[in-house]
Amino acid sequence: MNIRLGRGLIAAAVLLAQASPAEAHIVAARLGDFYAGALHPLTDLQDVILWGAMGVLGGTLGAARGRWLVLVFPLGLLAGLALGQDFEITLTGSTVDAGMVLVLGLLLATAVRIPTVALCALAFALAVIRGMANATDLGPETDRLLFAAGLACSGYAVITLVMALVLAFRGADTSVPTSWRKITLQALGGWIAAIGLMMVGYSLAS
Amino acid sequence: MRHLAVALLVLAALVLPRQLVAHEATLGVLEFREVRPGAFVGLWTMEPTIGAARVDLQVPPHCFLRLPELNCGDKGLIGPITITNLGANMSAVLIKVIPIVGEPRSYTISTANPVVSVLGTGAPTLQTWIELARTYVNYGIDHILLGADHLLFVLGLIWIVGGGWRLVKTITAFTIGHSASLAAAAFGLIGVPERPLNACIALSIVFVGVEIVKQQRGEIGLTARYPWAVAFTFGLVHGIGFASALAGLGLERRLLPIALLFFNIGVEIGQLAFVLLVLALMWAHRRLDAVLPRWGDALPAYAIGSVSMFWFFGRLLRVLAAT
Amino acid sequence: MSLRIFRYLPFAIAGLVLPQAAFAHEQVGLGGGLVSGFLHPLTGIDHLIAMVAVGIWGAQLGAPAIWVLPITFPLVMAIGGVLGILHVPLPMPEVMIALSALILGAAVAVRMRLPFAAAAAVVAVFAIFHGYAHGAELPKSANPLAYGVGFVVSTGLLHLCGITIGTLTRWPAGERLIQGLGVVIAMLGGYFLALSLGAVA
Repeated sequence: MNIRLGRGLIAAAVLLAQASPAEAHIVAARLGDFYAGALHPLTDLQDVILWGAMGVLGGTLGAARGRWLVLVFPLGLLAGLALGQDFEITLTGSTVDAGMVLVLGLLLATAVRIPTVALCALAFALAVIRGMANATDLGPETDRLLFAAGLACSGYAVITLVMALVLAFRGADTSVPTSWRKITLQALGGWIAAIGLMMVGYSLAS
Repeated sequence: MRHLAVALLVLAALVLPRQLVAHEATLGVLEFREVRPGAFVGLWTMEPTIGAARVDLQVPPHCFLRLPELNCGDKGLIGPITITNLGANMSAVLIKVIPIVGEPRSYTISTANPVVSVLGTGAPTLQTWIELARTYVNYGIDHILLGADHLLFVLGLIWIVGGGWRLVKTITAFTIGHSASLAAAAFGLIGVPERPLNACIALSIVFVGVEIVKQQRGEIGLTARYPWAVAFTFGLVHGIGFASALAGLGLERRLLPIALLFFNIGVEIGQLAFVLLVLALMWAHRRLDAVLPRWGDALPAYAIGSVSMFWFFGRLLRVLAAT
Repeated sequence: MSLRIFRYLPFAIAGLVLPQAAFAHEQVGLGGGLVSGFLHPLTGIDHLIAMVAVGIWGAQLGAPAIWVLPITFPLVMAIGGVLGILHVPLPMPEVMIALSALILGAAVAVRMRLPFAAAAAVVAVFAIFHGYAHGAELPKSANPLAYGVGFVVSTGLLHLCGITIGTLTRWPAGERLIQGLGVVIAMLGGYFLALSLGAVA
């Protein structure tokens, strides 16, 4: 099962890797800016990793805490997009992204029961940063409202689906401390943290 | 049932009307009439919104193009035609070729399919069919994904019927309904003026919104009792709407059935993807137990109702303005 | 709820406002980066057998090693990876990697029962050297992020393979088979060690 999950992840990663931002722009021409906003983050590996990790974290903390992210995350994306666009604030940098990946991975790997407020704050901060990153790719001809709506819808759908999938995978029973499902999620956290750590090193080195 | 987040719907309410407007004005039609063998006169019968001058049209290398003149010499107009700068403001261009001998032909250049091969006067080959399939499946998918009114109607149906077998039957009924009327309209068996029809489509969504509110008050509405009948009936209305998208393309009559088939397949693919996404999200919300608080129960229904009512009045005004 | 979030927002943002060089992350070669990262641990036989041996040994040691390993190994390896990216000189990485295959294979072959802390230390030292070798390649990649993802995922999967093979220890015949496998790994490790020391031409 572990291996099957891993294989699934690879397949998904490779599938996503086939799509590129260039294709997101083709989508923009074909289906308008709503779909461009919705698909743009899904063609960016940073977004895929960060959004996915956030969803997994929300899911492992259980429905009672995770469900707030359904609203908080898309709102954060919108806030970030607005900040990045209208005030041209950019917090985006590879170190911030990598640090975020590292933090999320460590939280997952150590299975800390972080409180709801902290989870929401983390999700909001992450969403703001990613919203800003997506704002940098807005062209002058892009309909901003449509793009923002697409981005928010996509953030909502991804975070909700990932959290629900993780919840379904983890199962309701969390009493057994070393169930293999829990360890799988922690191991996933270890992998994510490892990626984050290396990217922090890389971005500091370059 | 009530598991979808309000946020989505409020966003949808803000966004969807604009999308429809954008969708209506993205087509250009260019007509080439052969005046003597190999020489054509080209005219824009419908200019794209960005202006005819800005369309970067590439013709086969042996041809010489300076609109309105197109000269292809003895070989005639055979080979690839491309538009390189199809963009956000121009999603498709229809090229009609009217030869001296033989029937007129139409080719659609879209962002999904930016190159078409003009085939001369011979019989359609396998290549033609593949090209046709690609063009029209894509066109169908685009059409349903951009047709916010159709999607909102389907969303309302899912809301009332819920998942499971009943939903399969309802969606199938909607599909049969719109396929039937799409075919009938495309072959010219029925003709409904576009503007009142669009108003009707908007009204059908208002109806679904009202039915949701009714259901939440504990009344058993028509849709809850006979979902497939309602879906079929409104499917007929929506299908005529789909046909209007095809009508603008001025297809060759002998290619019409096959184009229609592929267009419909594309529409179904898009619709199925949407239904699956909505069902997945509903499942996720149940899993997360992320339902609306009591006071927010009726909010989605009112959102659907308001958006569609807004469309209805907008379209009604256009009907009145035209008469 | 949302009000409370807004109260926390300034802190969250303040914590993240660090002077950042604008870094346009090119997504060029995303697929290529993933694939090359994924294949890198698989193409070096010495890496591959050492990783599988780590998994098998973890399974032999049983709890807690069997579940601490997959969680922490990638992280420790990433530390090595960072050293590699920064080009911090480590003594004779090739020799150490070959040595790791030799020692881990031997540990599997003789069912060495070390205390957990000792085993973890041994594995951690080798993990740093393995990560170092991969990390040194990372900046050359067209898309370093994709490369990192690919290499972490493939290493993790090699572990899982090892752990899955390791579960054969439940049966006596499987135990023999695994010990045999350990011998093969140790011998291959010995060969690579000799190769890296220049004894074999």
